[in-house]
Amino acid sequence: MSAYFDDKDLAHFGDLKDHAPELWERFMQYYGPAFEPGLLSKREKVLIGFAVAQSSQCPYCIDSFTQQALEQGLTMKHLGEAMHCAASLRAGITLAHGLVAHNIDKKVSM
Amino acid sequence: MSAIPLRVLNDPAPASGRFSRRLSRYGGELRTASVTTLQVNVGKKCNQACRHCHVDAGPQRTEVMPDDVMDACIQVLTRQPSLETLDITGGAPELHPRFRQFASAGRALGRNVIVRHNLTVQFEPGQQDLPEFFAASGCEVVSSLPHYTEDATDRQRGRGVYDKSIAALRRLNAAGYGKGDGLVLNLISNPVGAFLPPRQEDLERDTRAYLGDRYGIVFDRLFTITNMPIERFAGWLQRSGRYDDYMERLDTAFNAATLPSLMCRNLISVSWDGRLFDCDFNQMLELGVEDSAPSTIFEFDLAQLAGRLVRTADHCLGCTAGAGSSCGGSIA
Repeated sequence: MSAYFDDKDLAHFGDLKDHAPELWERFMQYYGPAFEPGLLSKREKVLIGFAVAQSSQCPYCIDSFTQQALEQGLTMKHLGEAMHCAASLRAGITLAHGLVAHNIDKKVSM
Repeated sequence: MSAIPLRVLNDPAPASGRFSRRLSRYGGELRTASVTTLQVNVGKKCNQACRHCHVDAGPQRTEVMPDDVMDACIQVLTRQPSLETLDITGGAPELHPRFRQFASAGRALGRNVIVRHNLTVQFEPGQQDLPEFFAASGCEVVSSLPHYTEDATDRQRGRGVYDKSIAALRRLNAAGYGKGDGLVLNLISNPVGAFLPPRQEDLERDTRAYLGDRYGIVFDRLFTITNMPIERFAGWLQRSGRYDDYMERLDTAFNAATLPSLMCRNLISVSWDGRLFDCDFNQMLELGVEDSAPSTIFEFDLAQLAGRLVRTADHCLGCTAGAGSSCGGSIA
């Protein structure tokens, strides 16, 4: 192994089944249907997956969901906007946590 | 990634037998049904040189259908009324010196004449009145627009192509095309890269909304087409190290439901020099119709061509992947 992350690893995701087959099956029974079209379209779910992958900084998921997005007719222009949704929300989340400091300060300071 | 030279891809022999293996589970062969479309490639000259082009067409190409071949095509249409559609392609077919005469002859015979029109050719010398010609003759126009966004389209077809395409679509609309009044304007979209097209209905909806809102452009249908791993696109796949992955993608997405509706079931393709092929892709691979069938337009015999065995190779996976692909879009 020359790197912790390798794009060829993605094809071996299923190998993890060997370590806990029953739990793996339960995961797949959940994961697969979660991305099937429902009230949300396939494309909307793929975009959510992409934004979460970006935010979670998972290179495997970013690879997978970028390719899925392209096959949904989206381009990097669309994904660029999605990236900024994810990034700005992360920034907002960081800032919003400042309310904890703000409130503590109000509580303990004169 | 194996370094497969381009000429090997053009060899009639299947490169890996992937398609044969898939087909073997569904009868092992493809045969045509009735032949209802005469698709004629009138030459490889084009004003564009798109990165995905399976014809390897461009401004420097000199292959042009000679008079005797074009006359033979018209004769075949005249004596075979069951050939309902004349599908004219290229290159940019409008650059053929007899294009208008050819299309008009098809219309005069009462056939549905489809012109595979790249839009930008309207801005070539002497071609400005193409929308009016199409409308007056009643041709169906099928135009390439890989994506409704400028960046994606220009990356595939060349800088400035998007703006010209928008202007050309407006001119077609002004001539009466795409308004549901009988002058049919369909768009063709193919992926800008090594991946499968989106669901045709979804892309059609998004394209209609985008082009309508921004530019006031209307059209009838949008067809998605899968990029074929041959010629210029295959060269790009190889140079960028994506060939094996793309073939794997096509193979794993094989969909048997596409088999009954493949375009080779109802089409015969004529090359600029008069040879007969099962489709335009086989034509580019020099993969002629089976030996027992007539090999040129001069020997055209509909009875012998109907029911013929289609010659297949790995590139056929492009038509059977996902929702399938044909000159009329997805098929499953």
